Amino acid sequence: MSGVQLEGIIKRYGAVQVVHGVDLNVAEKEFVVLVGPSGCGKSTTLRMIAGLEEISDGEVTIDGRMVNRVAPKDRDVAMVFQNYALYPHLNVADNIAFGLRIRRESKEVIASSIDEVAGILGLTDYLDRRPADLSGGQRQRVAMGRAIVRRPKVFLFDEPLSNLDAKLRTQMRAEIKRLHNRLGVTSIYVTHDQVEAMTLADRIVVMHDGRIEQVGSPMELFMNPVNTFVASFLGSPPMNQVTAKVEKVGSDFVGVFAGNRLPLARLGDLEARVGQDVVVGIRPEYVTPATDGVKDQVRIELDLVETLGSEALLHAMLANAPFVIKADTTSAASKLSDVTGFTIAPELIRVFDGETGLALAGQDRPV
Amino acid sequence: MSDASHIKPRAKTAPMSRGARIVDVLKRDWQLYVMLLPTIIWLLLFLYKPMYGLQIAFKDYSVFRGIANSPWVGFEHFETLFNNDQFIRAIRNTVVISFWSLLIGFPVPILLALLFNEVLNQKFKKTTQTIVYLPHFISSVIIAGIVIAAFAPSAGIVNTAIRALGGEAIYFLTKPEWFRPIFIGTGIWQEAGFQSIVYLAAIAGVSPTLYESAVVDGASRWQMMWKITIPSILPTIIIMLIIRIGNILEVSFEMIILLYQPATYETADVVNTFIYRQGLQGGQYDLAAAAGLFNAVMAFTLVMAANALSKRYSRTSLW
Repeated sequence: MSGVQLEGIIKRYGAVQVVHGVDLNVAEKEFVVLVGPSGCGKSTTLRMIAGLEEISDGEVTIDGRMVNRVAPKDRDVAMVFQNYALYPHLNVADNIAFGLRIRRESKEVIASSIDEVAGILGLTDYLDRRPADLSGGQRQRVAMGRAIVRRPKVFLFDEPLSNLDAKLRTQMRAEIKRLHNRLGVTSIYVTHDQVEAMTLADRIVVMHDGRIEQVGSPMELFMNPVNTFVASFLGSPPMNQVTAKVEKVGSDFVGVFAGNRLPLARLGDLEARVGQDVVVGIRPEYVTPATDGVKDQVRIELDLVETLGSEALLHAMLANAPFVIKADTTSAASKLSDVTGFTIAPELIRVFDGETGLALAGQDRPV
Repeated sequence: MSDASHIKPRAKTAPMSRGARIVDVLKRDWQLYVMLLPTIIWLLLFLYKPMYGLQIAFKDYSVFRGIANSPWVGFEHFETLFNNDQFIRAIRNTVVISFWSLLIGFPVPILLALLFNEVLNQKFKKTTQTIVYLPHFISSVIIAGIVIAAFAPSAGIVNTAIRALGGEAIYFLTKPEWFRPIFIGTGIWQEAGFQSIVYLAAIAGVSPTLYESAVVDGASRWQMMWKITIPSILPTIIIMLIIRIGNILEVSFEMIILLYQPATYETADVVNTFIYRQGLQGGQYDLAAAAGLFNAVMAFTLVMAANALSKRYSRTSLW
């Protein structure tokens, strides 16, 4: 099976350690996205899998074979780079065929492979053009063609869409997904764009400071983030986080902050935190905007309404921190500027420990 | 309802004249033009003003009558030159020396740059780079002195080695057949290292991801050099070649003067040394000017042709 396993992967540059023992199991045909902010070690991890960076410690296994000491060319991986890495002096056909020529494939094999890949990627009419004569999207397709043509066991993508404009990025994202569905090759994809991660991945790996924060399906991570970092990283806009003091009213719990009392779910872990601070995580999509007269609303100071078409972002302040609400414009467009607060069901609120930022146990929602 | 009555109709502005645009640009970027001024003055004084004197190539020039009052003689000096065996020999020598210098000397800096690029040990790389750059900074007179000393018949290192191997001493610098190899070799030794800097800079500009991508594709270092490095620096190589072709008739005048002697004129006398002897030593300024003009026109034609060919076949050109 052509999966990829990382066991305790460490990367050091001199005395500085940038990747701290990453463990990951990528199954055959799986599309895994490594996501995280700049400098989190995701690209370094990918480059260690490719063999472009030496592994300081730990083991990388591809297709059941430990490859720590195996040259990149013998790992049977193909990589797509952020800046495409196309040879400017070669035309599209020669760029696609580069890897095959290096491996001394026969002319017939090369010609048929170019035709096949060009057909898949819609590059047939551009085979004679040089990269300088192509648009960003076409260059990206050529870069993918170079990877596909070798029929590797694993595809590695290093932020391949970062240089494209927003519209083209959306289009290429869909093309990559279709390609993966069609070819079914194990793929590891690095990005800092959480939308790419959510839309492309079978599983997302969120990295931070050289460590894995959480691994799971996009919806698992979106609904049940294990800590405040993952909660704030995934979702657009990200999850609102408000510090609140836990109080117990009868058998129920409430979070108290800035004069508001927010009902929380009955979590066993909250019992021990009565009187302590917790972080209350509220997805902008899960709240219901409220106007004057709505009972038990959490009061906000509305600052700005950004209309996006079918929905709008309401920017407000809550307990001296920014708070965003995503509202539907089709039913309440004219009233959005009158919003004075919101209501939310307790089971939609995610509660994190006030000190460690870890999610309290027992609140995971089924995905 | 908004009232639009207060909005004034947009005034039609006349398009700016070319002169006004130039004044506008000069006013805006005057600091840049002030910095450019010394170079323009230098160009006018030392490269354009002397062109006035080129007319003496078509005149029977007399120092006492001056340029303006000397009588016109048409192409008489050119006829004299082309009937002069020494000038024909000088042209032949110039072309032969330039051709071999170009053929052997032009690739050497490229090879050096490629070699330096492959050296992984930084200390070794820096040391060797310094050693090969050094001769460029030594005066031609000293270089010529070193060459004369090295090839001296009695105590020169080359002849000492020949004698040690059982051979007889050769009077290298007096033998016409040895002049060109020594001259071309000296030129390469003096300039190849320094010229390699241009190619090293070009290599430094090649995106590292091209190499990384090739490594993943399975390319060896040798393949990467042939398939990535050389094609990537090809535009620089072509530009340098065009410049070099433009200077093809400008054989290192100083070095020839320092190394040649009447015994080696047969292979060493080039157009520039011919001009020097005729013009300055022989006082035939008009004839020397005609030779110089011929040289310049040939160089101009060559550089234009090289540029046009390069533009047509490699999409790279100087202009």
